[in-house]
Amino acid sequence: MTTTASDCNLFTGAKRYVLDEELARIVNISMALEMPLLLKGEPGTGKTMLAHAIAEVLQMPLIILNVKSSMKLVEALYQYDTLTRLNDSRFGDSKRDVSNIEDYIKMGKIGQAFTADARTVLLIDEIDKADSDFQDDMLDVLDQMEFDIIEIDKTIRARHRPVFIITSNAKKDLSDPFLGRCNFHHIAFPDPKMMRQILKVHFPELDNELTENAIAAFYKLRELEAVEKRPATRELINWIRALSADPDFKPSRLAKGDVPFMGILFKKSQDFTRAANAVSRKRLF
Amino acid sequence: MFVDFFYQIKEAGIPVSPTSFLTLHRALRQGLVSSLEDFYTASRSILVKSERYFDLFDQVFAHHFEGAEMPDQEGFALDEMARNLLDTWLQDPKLLAEAMGIDESELKNMTPEELIEYFKERLKDQTERHDGGSKWIGTGGTSPVGHSGRHPGGMRVGGMSRNRSAIKVAMERRYKDYSLDGPLTQAMVGEAIKRLRHLVPSGPKDRVNVESTIYQTMKNAGEIEIVFDRSLKDRLKVILAIDNGGWSMDPYVEVVQTLFDYAKAQFKDIKTFFFHNTIYDTLWKDASRYKEPKRVEEFAAFEPDTRLILLGDASMAPYELMARDGSIHIEERTSKPSIERLKFLSETFKHCVWLNPAPVSMWNYTPTISAIGRIFPMFELSIDGLEKAVAQLMVKN
Repeated sequence: MTTTASDCNLFTGAKRYVLDEELARIVNISMALEMPLLLKGEPGTGKTMLAHAIAEVLQMPLIILNVKSSMKLVEALYQYDTLTRLNDSRFGDSKRDVSNIEDYIKMGKIGQAFTADARTVLLIDEIDKADSDFQDDMLDVLDQMEFDIIEIDKTIRARHRPVFIITSNAKKDLSDPFLGRCNFHHIAFPDPKMMRQILKVHFPELDNELTENAIAAFYKLRELEAVEKRPATRELINWIRALSADPDFKPSRLAKGDVPFMGILFKKSQDFTRAANAVSRKRLF
Repeated sequence: MFVDFFYQIKEAGIPVSPTSFLTLHRALRQGLVSSLEDFYTASRSILVKSERYFDLFDQVFAHHFEGAEMPDQEGFALDEMARNLLDTWLQDPKLLAEAMGIDESELKNMTPEELIEYFKERLKDQTERHDGGSKWIGTGGTSPVGHSGRHPGGMRVGGMSRNRSAIKVAMERRYKDYSLDGPLTQAMVGEAIKRLRHLVPSGPKDRVNVESTIYQTMKNAGEIEIVFDRSLKDRLKVILAIDNGGWSMDPYVEVVQTLFDYAKAQFKDIKTFFFHNTIYDTLWKDASRYKEPKRVEEFAAFEPDTRLILLGDASMAPYELMARDGSIHIEERTSKPSIERLKFLSETFKHCVWLNPAPVSMWNYTPTISAIGRIFPMFELSIDGLEKAVAQLMVKN
């Protein structure tokens, strides 16, 4: 287990992920303190990608728990498969032992991370989607690094403390006790300079003229006022993919205020109309 | 160690817990922090749990480790004032150059931020000289823009350069946009809409939730337990009354209209009316306030559970509110003082709020704000204020 910063497995960035130095420090401190790292930020700033990058660099298996709005914590821990057991007891054609409930316990994502042979990266994605009960219940698990399987009266302890990465889109505020147990970082939206590097990572072959024009147009569109969902990195990457797939497209057209494929950037109809208006009236360019 | 720093953060209004302070010390003891930059990232990620406090944290950090100026309560007002003045003056650069005592060509080379910083420094010199204070003499004189005149040009968020100092990072104040106090701006509309989305009505608990009934019953080992959910009631009706008279309200009218425009889909009906300073006999449907009047008495015809949201700075001469014929418009003669009309509205609509773009700290200095605040629950027009206002509008009876 990592206990000091001088350990060899320090996180420094990955192939597909452009890391800023500040975030790297925060990741390293959280790993050393064995505290979960809570990441917030606009959608599309690479919160989820970070967990992938950490797993890749530190060569740890990555386990992803995609939180859903109706999710209960117990689903993330383990599941007792009553249906299979009922089926087995009626037809008895499986190798499982019906009288042994443990055979019918399946580990959920957190359970898998706890019982894994090696240290894992556990990504709890979009925790704000679930209700506050989920977060409160998770507090105990985070604190104790163990949970009970009630059906068989067994305690599962984490064999290796996973590296917790928790993301939130901040639809709801998380509860104070929960925040108290996490380190926090807010990933700011990348500036044009950073964005150029991100694009270089994703499109190594990309034409320079297209990059510059697309970035310029993108940041102008982002500055539009009163837009509910502003386009983010993900939209830019898809947009550039579309632009470079179009054989008729000339990058210089962007500078003249001719913006094709706006639907990739603006996905809410009101935002789209507003943006389309602004572009057609040439207020932006 | 760093106890002073901890308390400064706390006093600045960032919620920090002693536990997290101990965690920070654990990090220090483990040798994870070897430079001020490390300390900056470590302390921020461990102590501060929301991006809205990042800006404040940056300011306190810069103050503590560099002696930068502490966050100024009047900072915002000053910012706004400086910006307004500059906007006007920028149209006549020569005049501005003379007034600030710098060369016109030098002026051209400054970014607007630098200009405002410079202007603020000058402004401070000015007040201090009037007050006879000595604090600013000496520090102000050496360079045109003083300590806050750093050139943000080269060092922005996410830069990869290794030689940024933590102080510089902190002094960049790159999280300024995330801090949630201060009046609403267009940029915050998205976040503010999320607060408005909480305006959803709910009926009594009279729907059976079959799934959780089965689950609870199974959990009770077969003893039947029926679980009820709230039924969704019809969507809300909203009346929005905006004070659009006078320049003091101008920046906010559009923000608020955009805001409700976007949230429109979730309301059953939204009606917008306009008034100037306060409400007398009539409200107007048209923004120019002369084509389509609607008498205040007619508002009694609206359903009483309609949500009434008023927006105004509530700042006027007391007689405008208290006296009969108080209106400053000579053609508007009124039978009742405005305050009676406001009371009538607040009695008609039991769910009502008044949103005020003026900062809370200023409310006590304007008698009419307190008077109106006693009639309508008043909230600041900021994201936090909006959140509280929504909570107030959703209160059951």
